[in-house]
Amino acid sequence: MENRIKKVMSAVFEVPVEKINDKSSPDTIESWDSLKHMNLVVALEEEFGVHFNDENIVEIMNYSLIRLILSKKLKS
Amino acid sequence: MSNIKNLKYSEILKINTKLGSDINSNSYNISILSNITINQIKEILEYVLRNENINANVRIGDYDNIVQDSIKYENSNIVIIFWELCNIIGGLQYKIELFDNDQFNAIFEKIKSEIDLVLKNLNKTSLVLFNKFTSMPFSSLNLRKSNFEKFADQLNKYLEDKTKANVKLIDLEKVIASVGVEKSLDLRFYYSSKALYTIEFFKTYAEYIKPFIMSANGKSKKALIFDCDNTLWMGILGEDGFRKIKMSPRTKNGSIFSEIQSIALALNKQGVLIGLCSKNNPKDIDEVINSHPDMKLRKEHIIINKSNWTDKVTNLRQIAKELNIGLDSLVFIDDSSFEVNLIKEQLPEITVLQVPERLHEYPKMLRENIGLFYNLSFTKEDKKKIKMYKQQIYRESAEKRFSAIEEYLASLELKLTIFEDDESIIPRISQMSQKTNQFNLTTKRYTEGDIRNFVTADDSKVFSFSVSDKFGDSGITGLCIINFDKKNQTANIDTFLMSCRIIGRNIEYAFMDYLINLITNNGIKRVTAKYIKTHKNEQVKDFYDKCSFLLIKSDNGIRDYELFVDEYKPKKIKYIEVNNGK
Repeated sequence: MENRIKKVMSAVFEVPVEKINDKSSPDTIESWDSLKHMNLVVALEEEFGVHFNDENIVEIMNYSLIRLILSKKLKS
Repeated sequence: MSNIKNLKYSEILKINTKLGSDINSNSYNISILSNITINQIKEILEYVLRNENINANVRIGDYDNIVQDSIKYENSNIVIIFWELCNIIGGLQYKIELFDNDQFNAIFEKIKSEIDLVLKNLNKTSLVLFNKFTSMPFSSLNLRKSNFEKFADQLNKYLEDKTKANVKLIDLEKVIASVGVEKSLDLRFYYSSKALYTIEFFKTYAEYIKPFIMSANGKSKKALIFDCDNTLWMGILGEDGFRKIKMSPRTKNGSIFSEIQSIALALNKQGVLIGLCSKNNPKDIDEVINSHPDMKLRKEHIIINKSNWTDKVTNLRQIAKELNIGLDSLVFIDDSSFEVNLIKEQLPEITVLQVPERLHEYPKMLRENIGLFYNLSFTKEDKKKIKMYKQQIYRESAEKRFSAIEEYLASLELKLTIFEDDESIIPRISQMSQKTNQFNLTTKRYTEGDIRNFVTADDSKVFSFSVSDKFGDSGITGLCIINFDKKNQTANIDTFLMSCRIIGRNIEYAFMDYLINLITNNGIKRVTAKYIKTHKNEQVKDFYDKCSFLLIKSDNGIRDYELFVDEYKPKKIKYIEVNNGK
């Protein structure tokens, strides 16, 4: 799952996969603005076949949180 | 159509970046003006066009700034306008229902004057794609028309009156209908970011407007080339015959082919060149074109006809050459996976369509691809162009392209499985002897009883084969019956035939190699064989010559051959694996 998240983030933010780590967030990735965040949401939904509700969309604001919320969603 | 529907958004983003750095041609500037957030369309539209070798560079104008942007971006190659009613004033879709007449008219006048301004500013832009207004995202199944719906109707009427030649109105509702309203909209982002549409919507939208941009780049397709059997009509002319092929609107399957021919005819009326490329006897095809009562495409519509036994790669190259157009201007339709994959592999410039397995989807498939021929500047001149092409056609001796074909065949992983005196397939063998006409050396028809006699007799053997490649298995598709005269160390080939489905793969030579080897091992020194001419088996007239047999007598269409097995020159075709099916 980690690799797939990183691949999606890399494609959306146009940064190399290696640059993405636990701390990746709008503070460390320059291109992560509100428009790109929207792209991230739909790209992750497509990749993992999940649906983020309004709350999730606001929550997934860094790599660790994305991983946490996705793994919760995939378990349930 | 490109495969965009199967691609994930993140994949599109990634491939698009790569395509962008690969294409060297001048960048083609597309500006999108919008009053909602549509940034996701950028990479999707770029991807769709870059795939067609158009170095698209999409810029999104400032959010909700259509009028000012129309000045800023007038020099783009194309300007696209997304003008969403819901955001003309925030929440118009519900506010307008409370408007009185004066308020309704006031906002109508305001938008009208803004449309005027935008169109005036873009007067010199070579192409403007203006999305028609739609109320669909906020419509429901109410019987009474809402103000919002009326507003959209009236603006569209105004827009239609106002547009000039450089402005094309885009029917957004067609895109929404094709994707489905639910799947087109993502209202989560509407309320937070004024974004309305989904990735799926943008993918379909990009495909929908692609023909405009292809045409503006001189990349419209010019010619539609049809295979014949099971593509223009149902059935195989060389096997089923003139009377049995079906394209009559009065029969179930025939009506599908009648519809196909009518679509082709309509395209032809709009200036699309229609041609044929099929493996058939040219005379037979001429007969159908000239005198089959159900044929819609006639001589005057078919600009070029390559019906012969040459491979289709050579024929399609020749078609492009004679019409003096690029290979990338051709669209080719065939029902056979073999031919479709051959052309895709050898001539990737050509757009290849395959007749769907579910035949009822065939007309829909063709209709969906009509956009390939879309021509922005269609005029009466285009009709004249067809005549011009006809005059321009020049013929050159056919260049043989054997090496390329061999290469393709080698990639197919062909496997030939040979069965000897196998009782379980007697019905199929008998059926083949009765139905096969084209690749049939003696055309002797045998019942199941006859075949059983050959199978059980000591002095005869029945060989049949199935062919498979990486795309699938053809089933039992070839047959040879041999009579042995061991006392005189002689064998006679009574029957040698193959289904026309597998012609062109050199299977017949691998089969012959196997048979001669087996005959030799049985102590036979001499093989005799016959070609008996019928009006359908012209193509195998010289088959035995090619197999190093010697012609000893030719009389009234019957050619007698003999072969001393020592003199046999095996073809040893490396790319066909031969197995014993016992």
